[in-house]
Amino acid sequence: MEEKNIVLSAKDVVVKFHVRDRVLTAIRKVSLDLYDGETLAIVGESGSGKSVFTKTFTGMLESNGWVDNGEIMFEGKNLLENKKNRDWEKVRGAKIATIFQDPMSSLNPIKTIGSQITEVVMKHQGKTKAEAKEIAIDMMDRVGIPNAADRFDEYPFQYSGGMRQRIVIAIALACRPKILICDEPTTALDVTIQAQILKLIKDLQKEYGFTTVFITHDLGVVANMADRVAVMYGGQIIEYGTVEDIFYNPKHPYTWALLSSLPQIGVKGEELYSIAGTPPSLFNEIKGDAFAPRNPHAMKIDFEEEPPFFQISPTHYAKTWLLDPRAPKIEPPHEIKVLHQRMVEMTSKGGAFYVE
Amino acid sequence: MKRYVLERIIRSLFSIFCVVTIAMFLVYSQIDRNNVFKEDQAVLKLKGQPDAYLNYRYSVWETLGYLDYMTQRDACTLEYDVNSKEFTSCLEIGSPEAAALGEQYKAKGYSVEPTPESGALWFTRDYTLVERIVRFYSGLINIDNPYAVQDANNPDLERKIYFGNDLAGKPALKCSGCEHKYLIYFNSDFPFIHQNIVTFDLGTSYPAYKNQAVTDVMSLRQGSAVKETVTFETGLTLDTSILDHTCTYKEVLDQLDSNKFVDNYANCLTNMAEDSMMSVSIKMGLMAVAIGYGLGIPVGMLMARRKGKLADKLGQAYIVIMISIPSLAYISFFRYLGTQYMGLPGKYPELGGADWRSWVLPVISLALPQIAGLMMWTRRYMVDQSSSDYVKFARAKGLSESEIFSRHILKNAIIPIAQGIPGSIIGCINGAIITESLYAVSGMGKLLPNSIKGFNNSMVIALTFFFTFLSVFSLLLGDLLVTVIDPRISLATSKKGGRK
Repeated sequence: MEEKNIVLSAKDVVVKFHVRDRVLTAIRKVSLDLYDGETLAIVGESGSGKSVFTKTFTGMLESNGWVDNGEIMFEGKNLLENKKNRDWEKVRGAKIATIFQDPMSSLNPIKTIGSQITEVVMKHQGKTKAEAKEIAIDMMDRVGIPNAADRFDEYPFQYSGGMRQRIVIAIALACRPKILICDEPTTALDVTIQAQILKLIKDLQKEYGFTTVFITHDLGVVANMADRVAVMYGGQIIEYGTVEDIFYNPKHPYTWALLSSLPQIGVKGEELYSIAGTPPSLFNEIKGDAFAPRNPHAMKIDFEEEPPFFQISPTHYAKTWLLDPRAPKIEPPHEIKVLHQRMVEMTSKGGAFYVE
Repeated sequence: MKRYVLERIIRSLFSIFCVVTIAMFLVYSQIDRNNVFKEDQAVLKLKGQPDAYLNYRYSVWETLGYLDYMTQRDACTLEYDVNSKEFTSCLEIGSPEAAALGEQYKAKGYSVEPTPESGALWFTRDYTLVERIVRFYSGLINIDNPYAVQDANNPDLERKIYFGNDLAGKPALKCSGCEHKYLIYFNSDFPFIHQNIVTFDLGTSYPAYKNQAVTDVMSLRQGSAVKETVTFETGLTLDTSILDHTCTYKEVLDQLDSNKFVDNYANCLTNMAEDSMMSVSIKMGLMAVAIGYGLGIPVGMLMARRKGKLADKLGQAYIVIMISIPSLAYISFFRYLGTQYMGLPGKYPELGGADWRSWVLPVISLALPQIAGLMMWTRRYMVDQSSSDYVKFARAKGLSESEIFSRHILKNAIIPIAQGIPGSIIGCINGAIITESLYAVSGMGKLLPNSIKGFNNSMVIALTFFFTFLSVFSLLLGDLLVTVIDPRISLATSKKGGRK
């Protein structure tokens, strides 16, 4: 990144939930900067807090959750000072838009496609119905709906899954948001449609210059779309850096484990690597490194003290004691060493993850 | 769409047919036919006269559609010209003509026997189930026409349809030669324009409402007669309770009739003070339905929006109470409150239907459980919808909670509720048995249970047919209503099979 204009900056965010009379800490002191126009991918296993963390940007936590600590600076304001829904409504959709994984259910089944686009334009930009319709049809055109004007009054059930996700993207981008959060946007789509949707997001990003946050399990998507990657585990970001940093030179043992368990890099006939053990219970206070109990390379200190972030390069940071100068030198597993080569193969033309 | 509706109607008619057939089988074949006299006092008086006893019972069974019954005279009248010598001879007991008739009918499957006293022959044959069904449906719809009346004593009866005025001077479409004098007429009762062209014959009631048409029992006004000053076409002015619109053809006029009427349409019904059973039930039911939907849906919406808060909890408590306490108990309770503290009448007839206070307690009693039901379902559907993905996305779009509720959730939640609206409106006709009996309202509610208890067989069949008809078609209307609201549902059937 040559110019680093920070659009959004989260600091020490702590999110807690009330679950059956107990308090669960879903996000533990996460800090993250989002840069203008970049694409950040947040990866991690289920329950690592990827979605919860991004929900704090738009105040969309479930009703039993709350932000316990921290600040999220956006356009010179701490978003967490928004107390009323009305304040959040000015951010949601207008400045920070979110799209969810299932396009089949993201649209109201009994409202016309058109009205679902225009309502957001009318709400945030104060346009009249006619103006909003023009914007909506233009937006539908841009996301690749043929005969947009004719299809304006159709209902979601008349659209295919991929088309619906295009409409969801059109709605999300109708008000030219600064940030687009894509919460597993392609999980529910089949592979060919996935590629089309990803390309669409990429193209629109080039055109409008918004920042994209990708939440995904799919490291293929990451390799293709992202400029930077943040790896989350147990409610924390444990490593972040550029795509090259993460794929070429991962440092955290969890990142190694995560990358090793990619089905796409498994060798046919060999058993696929899986991470032993289970993620930590977020109900209890976590001492030391959250990954330590599952980490074959864990050291004594991993169970006692939480590691700080160590800088590996100006763009690459990891939160593991292995980077401490006193730690023994541990080589990453063999799969990781060849991973970069394999990813290059897969994302270049003809590869499984290739997106134009 | 048209094709689908047509198919649905045919299927609906078929299901009605099945229900009525089963009911007929049960009522006519499985229940001892002597039971019909259980509630009849007249039959007891005839016990000492075997012939009259036999004649009475078989006539009643014939009216109720059990069998075909003929006396010797009936059979002779059918066979011979009334003025012929053979006819006179046929009437004699033991005559060769009568014996021949006996043989003839025996061959047709009739049982022919001499009566215990006089020895005159009587003929009877049970209808089969199929015959009963055919008779029920073939007589069901009557279409009045100028050739409907065939009166041998009145060969010069004019046959025409013409415009004229009724006795009150309002315009009407009248007829000579039809069964009814007035085919289309206007009055102040809803729906203001009425017709006698198509009438339904659902059978004759017995032993309750003896010999009245079932349709009349349901739809005629009740109570004491109401008199009005009327000037007849003969110029006679009288205080009378005659309803001129109901006049039908009468073959033999007496002097009183001739004073009033210029023609043979002298069989008129009397105007009564109280609404008919059907009309009372409909009015009461509609008011309750209006209150039920008017309160139940908004309160249910409120509960959904304030889920888990005080308003929701209070509403839930109300729903649980209404569902768990037997209706007899809470209706009695509200009746007690109303009569003790608000001075409302505890029985409908105390003040009669003309006084609004008579309606308050029954309507509230009917509305309370409906409100609870609608609150429950509205809340439930809205809560269901509010956890759906499109609501999450609508929130991410920056819509406010009230915008999400009114623009997105409400319509989705209303769809399943709308389906039941025609049913609850039309269902009012069926009446409400507990409320009506507790407040002594003379509505439709008690009609079916009383008919079953009183072995009023034709009434049971008629009501089975009528209520089945109403419920089957209100379902159809509900489905049609949903297609209007829900764009996803189209009733088009494509020839390839499957829905478009």
